Amino acid sequence: MNNQEKYKEDLLRQYINPERIEKAPEGFTSKVMTRIQIEAVPLKSAGRLRNKSLVPVISTTVTILLIVAAFLIPGSETDSLALPVVKLIKNIKVSLPEIDLTSIFRFNLPALLIYVFIGILILTLFDRALNGLFHREK
Amino acid sequence: MDYKGDIFYIEQVLAGKINAFSYIVDRHKNKAYNLAFRICGNHEEAEEIAQDSFLKAYRSLKGFKMKSSFATWLYRIVYNTAISHVRIKKKGVLSLEDFPADATDFIGSNTSEEEAEKEYRSSLINFALQKINEEERGLISLYYYEEMSTEEISDVTGISKSNIKVKLFRARQKMLEIIEKVEKKKLTYHE
Repeated sequence: MNNQEKYKEDLLRQYINPERIEKAPEGFTSKVMTRIQIEAVPLKSAGRLRNKSLVPVISTTVTILLIVAAFLIPGSETDSLALPVVKLIKNIKVSLPEIDLTSIFRFNLPALLIYVFIGILILTLFDRALNGLFHREK
Repeated sequence: MDYKGDIFYIEQVLAGKINAFSYIVDRHKNKAYNLAFRICGNHEEAEEIAQDSFLKAYRSLKGFKMKSSFATWLYRIVYNTAISHVRIKKKGVLSLEDFPADATDFIGSNTSEEEAEKEYRSSLINFALQKINEEERGLISLYYYEEMSTEEISDVTGISKSNIKVKLFRARQKMLEIIEKVEKKKLTYHE
Protein backbone atom coordinates (compact mmCIF):
# COMPACT_ATOMS: atom_id res chain seq x y z
CA MET A 1 0.00 0.00 0.00
CA ASN A 2 1.52 3.34 -1.01
CA ASN A 3 1.42 6.46 1.13
CA GLN A 4 -1.54 7.98 -0.65
CA GLU A 5 -3.62 4.84 -0.24
CA LYS A 6 -2.63 4.62 3.41
CA TYR A 7 -3.64 8.25 3.89
CA LYS A 8 -7.05 7.62 2.31
CA GLU A 9 -7.58 4.51 4.39
CA ASP A 10 -6.79 6.42 7.58
CA LEU A 11 -8.97 9.30 6.49
CA LEU A 12 -11.97 7.00 6.10
CA ARG A 13 -11.22 5.41 9.46
CA GLN A 14 -11.85 8.80 11.05
CA TYR A 15 -15.47 8.45 10.01
CA ILE A 16 -15.94 4.76 10.63
CA ASN A 17 -16.22 3.52 14.16
CA PRO A 18 -16.15 -0.29 14.15
CA GLU A 19 -17.47 -0.36 17.71
CA ARG A 20 -20.60 1.33 16.54
CA ILE A 21 -22.44 -1.62 15.08
CA GLU A 22 -26.13 -1.78 14.30
CA LYS A 23 -27.67 -4.27 16.70
CA ALA A 24 -30.35 -6.76 15.79
CA PRO A 25 -33.78 -5.68 17.10
CA GLU A 26 -35.40 -7.11 20.23
CA GLY A 27 -36.89 -10.55 19.78
CA PHE A 28 -34.76 -11.31 16.74
CA THR A 29 -33.71 -14.77 17.95
CA SER A 30 -37.24 -15.86 18.80
CA LYS A 31 -38.48 -14.65 15.40
CA VAL A 32 -35.80 -16.69 13.65
CA MET A 33 -36.58 -19.77 15.75
CA THR A 34 -40.31 -19.43 15.05
CA ARG A 35 -39.60 -19.22 11.32
CA ILE A 36 -37.36 -22.27 11.56
CA GLN A 37 -40.06 -24.24 13.33
CA ILE A 38 -42.67 -23.19 10.78
CA GLU A 39 -40.75 -23.15 7.51
CA ALA A 40 -37.79 -25.44 7.82
CA VAL A 41 -37.99 -29.21 7.71
CA PRO A 42 -36.19 -30.81 10.68
CA LEU A 43 -32.68 -31.69 9.52
CA LYS A 44 -33.05 -35.36 10.49
CA SER A 45 -36.01 -35.83 8.19
CA ALA A 46 -34.44 -33.88 5.37
CA GLY A 47 -33.68 -37.20 3.72
CA ARG A 48 -37.39 -37.53 3.01
CA LEU A 49 -37.03 -34.83 0.43
CA ARG A 50 -35.03 -37.30 -1.60
CA ASN A 51 -38.24 -39.32 -1.96
CA LYS A 52 -39.59 -36.52 -4.10
CA SER A 53 -37.16 -37.46 -6.84
CA LEU A 54 -38.84 -40.87 -6.86
CA VAL A 55 -41.87 -39.37 -8.61
CA PRO A 56 -40.16 -38.64 -11.96
CA VAL A 57 -38.19 -41.91 -11.70
CA ILE A 58 -41.33 -44.02 -11.20
CA SER A 59 -43.20 -42.07 -13.82
CA THR A 60 -40.40 -42.48 -16.41
CA THR A 61 -40.02 -46.19 -15.65
CA VAL A 62 -43.76 -46.84 -16.05
CA THR A 63 -43.86 -44.86 -19.32
CA ILE A 64 -40.83 -46.71 -20.74
CA LEU A 65 -42.29 -50.08 -19.70
CA LEU A 66 -45.59 -49.29 -21.37
CA ILE A 67 -43.90 -48.17 -24.61
CA VAL A 68 -41.67 -51.27 -24.66
CA ALA A 69 -44.66 -53.49 -23.91
CA ALA A 70 -46.64 -51.93 -26.74
CA PHE A 71 -43.88 -52.74 -29.21
CA LEU A 72 -42.86 -56.15 -27.89
CA ILE A 73 -46.18 -57.73 -27.12
CA PRO A 74 -47.84 -58.66 -30.39
CA GLY A 75 -51.58 -58.79 -30.97
CA SER A 76 -51.37 -62.45 -31.98
CA GLU A 77 -49.18 -64.93 -30.19
CA THR A 78 -46.39 -65.46 -32.67
CA ASP A 79 -42.74 -66.11 -31.82
CA SER A 80 -41.42 -63.05 -30.12
CA LEU A 81 -39.09 -61.96 -27.35
CA ALA A 82 -42.13 -61.08 -25.30
CA LEU A 83 -43.75 -64.50 -25.57
CA PRO A 84 -42.99 -65.49 -21.97
CA VAL A 85 -44.44 -62.20 -20.79
CA VAL A 86 -47.59 -62.70 -22.84
CA LYS A 87 -48.00 -66.22 -21.47
CA LEU A 88 -47.51 -65.00 -17.93
CA ILE A 89 -50.12 -62.29 -18.41
CA LYS A 90 -52.55 -64.79 -19.91
CA ASN A 91 -51.98 -67.06 -16.93
CA ILE A 92 -52.90 -64.32 -14.50
CA LYS A 93 -55.99 -63.55 -16.57
CA VAL A 94 -55.02 -60.00 -17.47
CA SER A 95 -55.40 -58.88 -21.03
CA LEU A 96 -53.48 -56.05 -22.60
CA PRO A 97 -55.04 -53.93 -25.32
CA GLU A 98 -53.88 -54.66 -28.83
CA ILE A 99 -52.18 -51.72 -30.45
CA ASP A 100 -52.51 -51.36 -34.15
CA LEU A 101 -49.93 -48.82 -35.26
CA THR A 102 -51.25 -48.64 -38.81
CA SER A 103 -54.34 -46.84 -37.54
CA ILE A 104 -52.15 -43.90 -36.59
CA PHE A 105 -51.28 -43.36 -40.22
CA ARG A 106 -54.90 -43.38 -41.19
CA PHE A 107 -55.13 -39.97 -39.60
CA ASN A 108 -58.58 -38.84 -38.61
CA LEU A 109 -58.41 -35.72 -36.48
CA PRO A 110 -61.87 -35.67 -34.76
CA ALA A 111 -61.61 -39.37 -33.86
CA LEU A 112 -58.04 -38.94 -32.60
CA LEU A 113 -59.03 -35.99 -30.41
CA ILE A 114 -61.35 -38.18 -28.35
CA TYR A 115 -58.46 -40.54 -27.57
CA VAL A 116 -56.14 -37.60 -26.81
CA PHE A 117 -58.71 -36.15 -24.46
CA ILE A 118 -59.24 -39.47 -22.67
CA GLY A 119 -55.44 -39.92 -22.45
CA ILE A 120 -54.95 -36.49 -20.92
CA LEU A 121 -57.75 -37.17 -18.45
CA ILE A 122 -56.22 -40.50 -17.36
CA LEU A 123 -52.73 -38.94 -17.01
CA THR A 124 -54.14 -36.03 -14.99
CA LEU A 125 -55.89 -38.41 -12.60
CA PHE A 126 -52.69 -40.48 -12.32
CA ASP A 127 -50.67 -37.32 -11.62
CA ARG A 128 -53.14 -36.18 -8.94
CA ALA A 129 -52.98 -39.60 -7.32
CA LEU A 130 -49.15 -39.56 -7.25
CA ASN A 131 -49.15 -35.97 -5.99
CA GLY A 132 -51.47 -36.91 -3.12
CA LEU A 133 -49.38 -39.95 -2.31
CA PHE A 134 -46.07 -38.11 -2.05
CA HIS A 135 -47.36 -34.97 -0.36
CA ARG A 136 -48.94 -37.00 2.42
CA GLU A 137 -45.42 -37.85 3.60
CA LYS A 138 -44.82 -34.26 4.69
CA MET B 1 -24.78 -19.35 30.40
CA ASP B 2 -21.32 -19.83 28.86
CA TYR B 3 -21.24 -20.21 25.12
CA LYS B 4 -19.73 -23.61 24.35
CA GLY B 5 -18.56 -22.81 20.83
CA ASP B 6 -20.26 -22.98 17.44
CA ILE B 7 -19.27 -26.60 16.72
CA PHE B 8 -20.88 -27.85 19.94
CA TYR B 9 -24.25 -26.30 19.10
CA ILE B 10 -24.04 -27.29 15.42
CA GLU B 11 -23.61 -30.92 16.47
CA GLN B 12 -26.60 -30.60 18.80
CA VAL B 13 -28.73 -29.20 15.98
CA LEU B 14 -27.61 -31.96 13.62
CA ALA B 15 -28.54 -34.49 16.31
CA GLY B 16 -32.09 -33.16 16.16
CA LYS B 17 -32.09 -30.53 18.94
CA ILE B 18 -33.45 -27.62 16.93
CA ASN B 19 -33.49 -25.27 19.91
CA ALA B 20 -29.68 -25.40 20.13
CA PHE B 21 -29.70 -23.22 17.00
CA SER B 22 -31.02 -20.32 19.10
CA TYR B 23 -27.62 -20.11 20.86
CA ILE B 24 -25.93 -19.76 17.48
CA VAL B 25 -28.43 -17.08 16.39
CA ASP B 26 -27.95 -15.20 19.64
CA ARG B 27 -24.19 -15.30 19.26
CA HIS B 28 -24.01 -14.05 15.68
CA LYS B 29 -27.19 -11.99 15.22
CA ASN B 30 -25.64 -8.54 15.73
CA LYS B 31 -22.79 -9.02 13.29
CA ALA B 32 -25.11 -10.59 10.70
CA TYR B 33 -27.61 -7.76 11.14
CA ASN B 34 -24.90 -5.10 10.97
CA LEU B 35 -23.50 -6.46 7.70
CA ALA B 36 -26.99 -6.70 6.21
CA PHE B 37 -27.77 -3.14 7.32
CA ARG B 38 -24.55 -1.71 5.85
CA ILE B 39 -25.31 -3.33 2.51
CA CYS B 40 -29.03 -2.52 2.24
CA GLY B 41 -29.14 0.69 4.34
CA ASN B 42 -32.57 -0.01 5.80
CA HIS B 43 -33.50 -1.50 9.20
CA GLU B 44 -36.61 -3.43 8.07
CA GLU B 45 -34.83 -4.96 5.10
CA ALA B 46 -31.73 -5.71 7.19
CA GLU B 47 -33.87 -7.69 9.63
CA GLU B 48 -35.48 -9.61 6.78
CA ILE B 49 -32.07 -10.36 5.22
CA ALA B 50 -30.53 -11.44 8.54
CA GLN B 51 -33.51 -13.70 9.33
CA ASP B 52 -33.43 -15.23 5.85
CA SER B 53 -29.70 -15.82 6.20
CA PHE B 54 -30.09 -17.70 9.49
CA LEU B 55 -32.86 -19.78 7.93
CA LYS B 56 -30.61 -20.61 4.97
CA ALA B 57 -27.77 -21.43 7.34
CA TYR B 58 -30.05 -23.78 9.31
CA ARG B 59 -31.24 -25.51 6.16
CA SER B 60 -27.72 -26.06 4.84
CA LEU B 61 -26.10 -26.82 8.19
CA LYS B 62 -25.51 -30.40 7.06
CA GLY B 63 -23.40 -29.04 4.22
CA PHE B 64 -21.17 -26.99 6.53
CA LYS B 65 -17.83 -28.75 6.20
CA MET B 66 -16.16 -27.00 9.16
CA LYS B 67 -13.19 -26.13 6.93
CA SER B 68 -13.72 -22.43 7.58
CA SER B 69 -15.11 -20.95 10.78
CA PHE B 70 -18.87 -20.91 11.18
CA ALA B 71 -18.78 -17.08 11.31
CA THR B 72 -17.06 -16.89 7.90
CA TRP B 73 -19.59 -19.35 6.47
CA LEU B 74 -22.49 -17.37 7.92
CA TYR B 75 -21.05 -14.06 6.66
CA ARG B 76 -20.89 -15.59 3.17
CA ILE B 77 -24.61 -16.38 3.38
CA VAL B 78 -25.50 -12.91 4.73
CA TYR B 79 -23.31 -11.17 2.14
CA ASN B 80 -24.81 -13.09 -0.79
CA THR B 81 -28.38 -12.76 0.50
CA ALA B 82 -27.97 -9.01 1.02
CA ILE B 83 -26.35 -8.42 -2.38
CA SER B 84 -29.09 -10.30 -4.26
CA HIS B 85 -31.78 -8.60 -2.15
CA VAL B 86 -30.43 -5.16 -3.04
CA ARG B 87 -30.07 -6.09 -6.71
CA ILE B 88 -33.72 -7.13 -6.84
CA LYS B 89 -34.98 -4.04 -5.01
CA LYS B 90 -32.71 -1.59 -6.84
CA LYS B 91 -33.52 1.85 -5.43
CA GLY B 92 -33.06 5.28 -6.95
CA VAL B 93 -29.70 7.01 -6.51
CA LEU B 94 -29.46 9.39 -3.56
CA SER B 95 -28.47 12.96 -4.32
CA LEU B 96 -26.32 15.19 -2.12
CA GLU B 97 -29.47 17.13 -1.30
CA ASP B 98 -30.72 14.08 0.58
CA PHE B 99 -28.14 14.68 3.27
CA PRO B 100 -28.88 17.57 5.65
CA ALA B 101 -26.20 20.23 5.54
CA ASP B 102 -26.58 21.24 9.13
CA ALA B 103 -24.77 18.99 11.59
CA THR B 104 -26.78 20.52 14.41
CA ASP B 105 -29.79 18.57 13.09
CA PHE B 106 -28.31 15.65 14.94
CA ILE B 107 -27.86 17.42 18.24
CA GLY B 108 -30.62 16.58 20.67
CA SER B 109 -31.15 18.65 23.82
CA ASN B 110 -29.40 16.02 26.00
CA THR B 111 -26.57 15.30 23.59
CA SER B 112 -23.07 16.64 24.03
CA GLU B 113 -21.31 18.25 21.09
CA GLU B 114 -18.93 15.30 20.88
CA GLU B 115 -21.83 12.83 20.76
CA ALA B 116 -23.55 14.89 18.12
CA GLU B 117 -20.40 14.93 16.01
CA LYS B 118 -20.16 11.12 16.28
CA GLU B 119 -23.80 10.83 15.26
CA TYR B 120 -23.20 13.15 12.34
CA ARG B 121 -20.18 11.16 11.15
CA SER B 122 -22.05 7.90 11.45
CA SER B 123 -24.94 9.24 9.36
CA LEU B 124 -22.51 10.71 6.86
CA ILE B 125 -20.74 7.37 6.44
CA ASN B 126 -24.08 5.56 6.02
CA PHE B 127 -25.04 8.13 3.40
CA ALA B 128 -21.73 7.67 1.55
CA LEU B 129 -22.17 3.89 1.75
CA GLN B 130 -25.54 4.14 0.04
CA LYS B 131 -23.94 6.11 -2.80
CA ILE B 132 -21.58 3.29 -3.77
CA ASN B 133 -22.66 -0.04 -5.24
CA GLU B 134 -23.82 -2.98 -3.11
CA GLU B 135 -20.68 -5.05 -3.66
CA GLU B 136 -18.41 -2.18 -2.58
CA ARG B 137 -20.68 -1.60 0.44
CA GLY B 138 -20.21 -5.21 1.48
CA LEU B 139 -16.44 -4.99 1.11
CA ILE B 140 -16.19 -1.72 3.06
CA SER B 141 -18.36 -3.19 5.86
CA LEU B 142 -16.31 -6.35 6.12
CA TYR B 143 -13.03 -4.43 6.06
CA TYR B 144 -13.84 -1.53 8.37
CA TYR B 145 -16.67 -2.74 10.60
CA GLU B 146 -15.84 -6.41 10.89
CA GLU B 147 -12.13 -5.61 10.65
CA MET B 148 -11.44 -8.58 8.41
CA SER B 149 -8.23 -9.05 6.45
CA THR B 150 -8.39 -9.17 2.64
CA GLU B 151 -7.83 -12.94 2.91
CA GLU B 152 -10.86 -13.37 5.18
CA ILE B 153 -12.93 -11.13 2.91
CA SER B 154 -11.89 -13.29 -0.01
CA ASP B 155 -13.20 -16.37 1.86
CA VAL B 156 -16.53 -14.66 2.46
CA THR B 157 -17.08 -13.09 -0.95
CA GLY B 158 -15.25 -15.45 -3.27
CA ILE B 159 -13.43 -12.46 -4.85
CA SER B 160 -9.65 -12.76 -5.25
CA LYS B 161 -7.41 -10.90 -2.80
CA SER B 162 -5.91 -8.63 -5.46
CA ASN B 163 -9.36 -7.79 -6.80
CA ILE B 164 -10.57 -6.96 -3.29
CA LYS B 165 -7.69 -4.49 -2.88
CA VAL B 166 -8.60 -2.78 -6.16
CA LYS B 167 -12.32 -2.68 -5.33
CA LEU B 168 -11.62 -1.38 -1.80
CA PHE B 169 -9.39 1.34 -3.20
CA ARG B 170 -12.11 2.48 -5.62
CA ALA B 171 -14.83 2.32 -2.98
CA ARG B 172 -12.70 4.31 -0.53
CA GLN B 173 -12.00 6.91 -3.21
CA LYS B 174 -15.69 7.27 -4.05
CA MET B 175 -16.70 7.55 -0.40
CA LEU B 176 -14.09 10.17 0.36
CA GLU B 177 -15.24 12.24 -2.63
CA ILE B 178 -18.82 12.07 -1.36
CA ILE B 179 -17.77 12.99 2.17
CA GLU B 180 -15.72 15.88 0.82
CA LYS B 181 -18.67 17.21 -1.17
CA VAL B 182 -20.99 16.98 1.84
CA GLU B 183 -18.44 18.72 4.07
CA LYS B 184 -18.06 21.52 1.51
CA LYS B 185 -21.82 21.89 1.36
CA LYS B 186 -21.86 22.07 5.15
CA LEU B 187 -19.21 24.84 5.15
CA THR B 188 -21.12 26.84 2.53
CA TYR B 189 -24.27 26.44 4.63
CA HIS B 190 -22.56 27.90 7.71
CA GLU B 191 -20.99 30.85 5.85
